[in-house]
Amino acid sequence: MHDPDAEDVAKAGRGDRDAAARLIARHSAKLLTVAQRMLTSRAEAEDAVQDVFLRLWTHAGRWRPGGAKFETWLYRVMLNQCYDRLRRRPTRPLEEAAEIADGAALPGAGLDEGQVGREIARALETLPERQKAAILLCHFNECGNIEAAEIMGLSVEALESLLARGRRALRARLQHLKGFTGDGP
Amino acid sequence: MTDENSDPTFANRVLIRLPAEVPSPSFQAALLEAYDVWNARRPEGRWAALHAGLGHFSNAIWPGAPLWAPASAFALALVLGTGLGIALPPIANDEQPGFSLEQPATFSLNAVDATQEDM
Repeated sequence: MHDPDAEDVAKAGRGDRDAAARLIARHSAKLLTVAQRMLTSRAEAEDAVQDVFLRLWTHAGRWRPGGAKFETWLYRVMLNQCYDRLRRRPTRPLEEAAEIADGAALPGAGLDEGQVGREIARALETLPERQKAAILLCHFNECGNIEAAEIMGLSVEALESLLARGRRALRARLQHLKGFTGDGP
Repeated sequence: MTDENSDPTFANRVLIRLPAEVPSPSFQAALLEAYDVWNARRPEGRWAALHAGLGHFSNAIWPGAPLWAPASAFALALVLGTGLGIALPPIANDEQPGFSLEQPATFSLNAVDATQEDM
């Protein structure tokens, strides 16, 4: 299996700045998207991505092509970073959690595009972290189920179960946006 | 259409409306700057091999975690194991061995004879 990053990882580990720049250009946007959606804070997401790249540089010299795909390793490190940061956060009080909108109670009409985007982001935020991670990997990173399962350290069946529950919960929370998504009543 | 089929479709339609995050040029420059700092401090020679070995071992146990995390887990397991080893009662040496087809029988016909003599 050809790994498109393997050569650049090895070169970056030997001090090749151009190879490092290519890796940053190729992966920083996707990593930032996952981190931002997981952590819901741009600043914290950028910190997490910084940490992931630092870890990448320190491991780059020892990367052995032929094992796991580099991208799989990179996203696993990214998810571990996010889980660690989420665990270090203080628990949210119940009153705050109750403020999260119940989709069925909100009218969908009258929302503009920006508001729809914010509603979707908020609904995604409220999913349990593993369901959210599964959805992010499959939808934003276009990972196949096998690759996403490998990144999350799960069986494919367990990942599919997480995806199904996550999508169902997302749908329940966004019922009021049916008109916007082309999913008729 | 069943729920199982429509949930993924709905999720696709909804999530496509969320824009991907675009890293700012200054953020990408900061990432490259961090690479330069790392590259300048990159260990070389004998220490590089030791550092690489430790890092590889740590990464095999817990990818992405700082070194203290697997080290703490290992230390905790060691303490628990030692504690259990001290706390649990030792196996008595005079305990009867289990029956085995590979071992010769340890009973003797003489013992039966002795019983019969008593009768």
